[in-house]
Amino acid sequence: MIDACIGLLVLWPVAAGLACLGLRSQAGRCALVMGTAAVLAAAAVGLATQAPLTASPAFLASATALHVAQAAAFLFPAYFLFKGVQERHGLVIVFALAQLALAAVGEFGLAAPAAVKTAVAAVAAVVCDGLSLALVLVVSLVGTLISVFALPYMKRHEEHLRLATSRQPQFFMVLLCFLGFMNGLALTNDLHVFAAFYEATTLCSFLLIGHDQTNEAKKSGLRALWMNSMGGVFLHAGILLIQKQHGLADIQAIVDPALWTGVSLLPLALLAVAGCVKAAQLPFQAWLLGAMVAPTPVSALLHSSTMVKVGVFLCLRLAPVFEGTATGRILILAGAMTFLGASALALGQSNAKKILAYSTAANLGLIIACAGLGTPTAIAAGVVLLVIHAVTKGLLFLCVGDMEQTIGSRDLEDLRAVMAETPVTALAAVAGSLAMILPPLGMLAGKWAVLEAASASSVPVVAIAVGMMAVGSALAVVCWVRFSGTLMGGVAIGTQGGSKVGAQPAHTSSLTTNLTIGQTTGLTIGLTTGLTTGPILTLLAGAVGLGLAAPWLNALLLGQGNPLAGGWGLLPPLFIVAMLAWIIGLKVLGRQSKARLAQPYLGGLPQAQPGSYVGPLGRNWTLVEGNEYATEFFGEAKLTRLAGIVALALLLALVGGALA
Amino acid sequence: MSLNTFSLAVAGLVLAPLLGGLAAGADRVVTARLQSRLGPPLMQPFYDVGKLWSKVTLPASHWQGLFVRWALAASLASDVLLAAGDDVLMCFFVQAASASFVALGAFCGSSPYSKLGAQRELFQLLAYEPVFLVAVVCLAKASGGFDALSIMAAQGPLLFKLPLVVPGLVFVVLVKLRKSPFDIAASHHMHQEVVRGVYTDYAGRDFALLEIAHWADVAVVLWICSFLWATGPLQMLATGLVFLFAAVIIDNISARLTWRTMLGRVAPLTLILATANLVWLYLE
Repeated sequence: MIDACIGLLVLWPVAAGLACLGLRSQAGRCALVMGTAAVLAAAAVGLATQAPLTASPAFLASATALHVAQAAAFLFPAYFLFKGVQERHGLVIVFALAQLALAAVGEFGLAAPAAVKTAVAAVAAVVCDGLSLALVLVVSLVGTLISVFALPYMKRHEEHLRLATSRQPQFFMVLLCFLGFMNGLALTNDLHVFAAFYEATTLCSFLLIGHDQTNEAKKSGLRALWMNSMGGVFLHAGILLIQKQHGLADIQAIVDPALWTGVSLLPLALLAVAGCVKAAQLPFQAWLLGAMVAPTPVSALLHSSTMVKVGVFLCLRLAPVFEGTATGRILILAGAMTFLGASALALGQSNAKKILAYSTAANLGLIIACAGLGTPTAIAAGVVLLVIHAVTKGLLFLCVGDMEQTIGSRDLEDLRAVMAETPVTALAAVAGSLAMILPPLGMLAGKWAVLEAASASSVPVVAIAVGMMAVGSALAVVCWVRFSGTLMGGVAIGTQGGSKVGAQPAHTSSLTTNLTIGQTTGLTIGLTTGLTTGPILTLLAGAVGLGLAAPWLNALLLGQGNPLAGGWGLLPPLFIVAMLAWIIGLKVLGRQSKARLAQPYLGGLPQAQPGSYVGPLGRNWTLVEGNEYATEFFGEAKLTRLAGIVALALLLALVGGALA
Repeated sequence: MSLNTFSLAVAGLVLAPLLGGLAAGADRVVTARLQSRLGPPLMQPFYDVGKLWSKVTLPASHWQGLFVRWALAASLASDVLLAAGDDVLMCFFVQAASASFVALGAFCGSSPYSKLGAQRELFQLLAYEPVFLVAVVCLAKASGGFDALSIMAAQGPLLFKLPLVVPGLVFVVLVKLRKSPFDIAASHHMHQEVVRGVYTDYAGRDFALLEIAHWADVAVVLWICSFLWATGPLQMLATGLVFLFAAVIIDNISARLTWRTMLGRVAPLTLILATANLVWLYLE
């Protein structure tokens, strides 16, 4: 049963992806992707019922698997080198060569393979604890929902691009394989296999970002490639050093703090830097920002459930070793710096996708800070944040993508009052953005748990990190309230009360019965709408449901009997308050949606027609509104440089400090 | 939850907004005396709310009633959390949620003044939240626990461990009480450039409820300030009053600053002071 689940989780998506390559028909592809979604969801849930577990399924524990991983250490860099030469991209070539050199050293130079205790000889090839299971569930549930959303999206996308031959088969092949590689990465207990999957995700992200083959897409793809292969260089260097120091490749054995007492943490610092690159931490955020040129499902997948989660997964995996070490402290600062810097960058943006991208980097920074803290409570908070961030950010990306396809712009100023156009999607986006910041939902609860864990520490450096997190947290609140406020600015300036009546009942009913609407539109208007709103509403339900379940998630991860230990006990009473407020609020909304609206207050100036006033010179002046982005504080160019330099210094200190 | 905690929570639910209302009344009396006026009676804020309650609500947006109720619920919940002796950091976040709902309601409005006020309200939030959060962490660090009960049970006044937090808390009180020089999002006088800013579009019963939410907020903020000298109930009351009157006096002797000054100068300065104090507490 366990072997079957693991096999399905890793191998099925890869096989289904290859099958996609041969399928030219849309209907067949839909069936295959949705079938994969069902299989992965079932297998992930099946695995969850057995966790925590250790297992050695044949395909991952065999010597063949290790040989494949060893071959992959050469094949991936060789492909990257080929691409680098083909596109004449210096950095890609340099890092691909460095990876090849490291692979050669590992294979022939440094340690005889026999001396390295790989997972085959060790206890288990697969270890599934709370952290792995969290990632597997995220990949198999959120990732597959995004793939389903991609079906109608890519069809419309290609209609928009007017392609002669559809490139969807390749696209869905990479998309599905990506999910399989992610599951393998989450479950494997062997560093070499892990590294192979790590490189595989780099390859997948390169292919997906460059999918549209425009110049911008190619450039972004290559940027993602060189940055992540640089991460790969750090990863391989770290693995080689671990082999040299300890002769180990068993991840569970490596994360034992006893192994590292009195030994330099340099290898782990290198692995942490590799994690920071994947997690798009400052100053490596550029590849994630570039990724938004790709079709929306790609950015949703990279941001929420796959790529960036590799980085935080790696850091959280190593976290027990970091507790109380200098390396850990610098990692806290680096994470807090990204949380602060990226949140500030998000606030200065009017591009909705950039807001989401910077916010992703920021939230991952918070998780990395958790890893730096390394205490069990901090790690649990990090995993809770990982899961809930995946669902919420996936939701937000799908919403923004859908709104973008509807109105043809991703600028927040153009999305103003989009509520009237796409009420269901806009309301889902508002709910998602509020789920990022509001108590008692999970993201806020996670942030709160991190702050309390940080203040339990006794190291003065952590106090600085607390200050940085405080600012980052306020920046995030402002950013998301403004985001949802702009979407909701439903009544444009000067609109007469009566003119919006037609749109208004749709809002109310969509709030109260949005699930039924989602289902009925899915059935009546057709599969396309259903495949768009279906994933959005499922993710919405997931974001809210998981947000409410945060205390229980936390307790499961900590292995406590009592889920409401500590301050977590406050959340359920707050849920009750929130539910009461929700019910009362909806009643009032129902009542007020029938009320006559007031004339807009314009300081007593006469109004000739809606949206304007009669002002100086007796002229009719049109009112225009816009958000204040405070670019003198949060301007992208200046702030990127400043925050990037500080973050780079911290990462150098991370490696340099471990050298000493 | 014991019966004792429950009764404390109920007391907080009822008394905290009342105390906030009384603080608003006292503020008006003192301000009038400072300006050599007779001023309204102490209970005037309650009469005002009573009158607002009797008015017909003419909403500027269908969403405002909902956000007003959510803001009120969050404000009252933060009072109850403090009264029951629970986690002060969570109380802080719940209180911040209330401010977010007020801004969201204003975003939904139709008047340009309301939308301008909403933008400014968010910048205010950005300015005072970090320093308030650091102040709460300082209180917890100095007393050894995040729950209000253990902060109130700390040995001796915490003020002497937290001198650098005081400017930050004064800043927070000025912003939260919407006092000059930081009455940036909503001025008290309708002839000024933002009119009533974030409050412009709220009317009638909605506005009355929002006023009650504001009282509850004031009670929470002054309550957290009073933890600086929490050796007994009277001392706490006195500390709260000191902060209140400091705010009233500063209000009367200063003119409004711009949001740029608030965000670019005052907020970083108070935050750095408070963080320095936190570092020092970690060093102890």
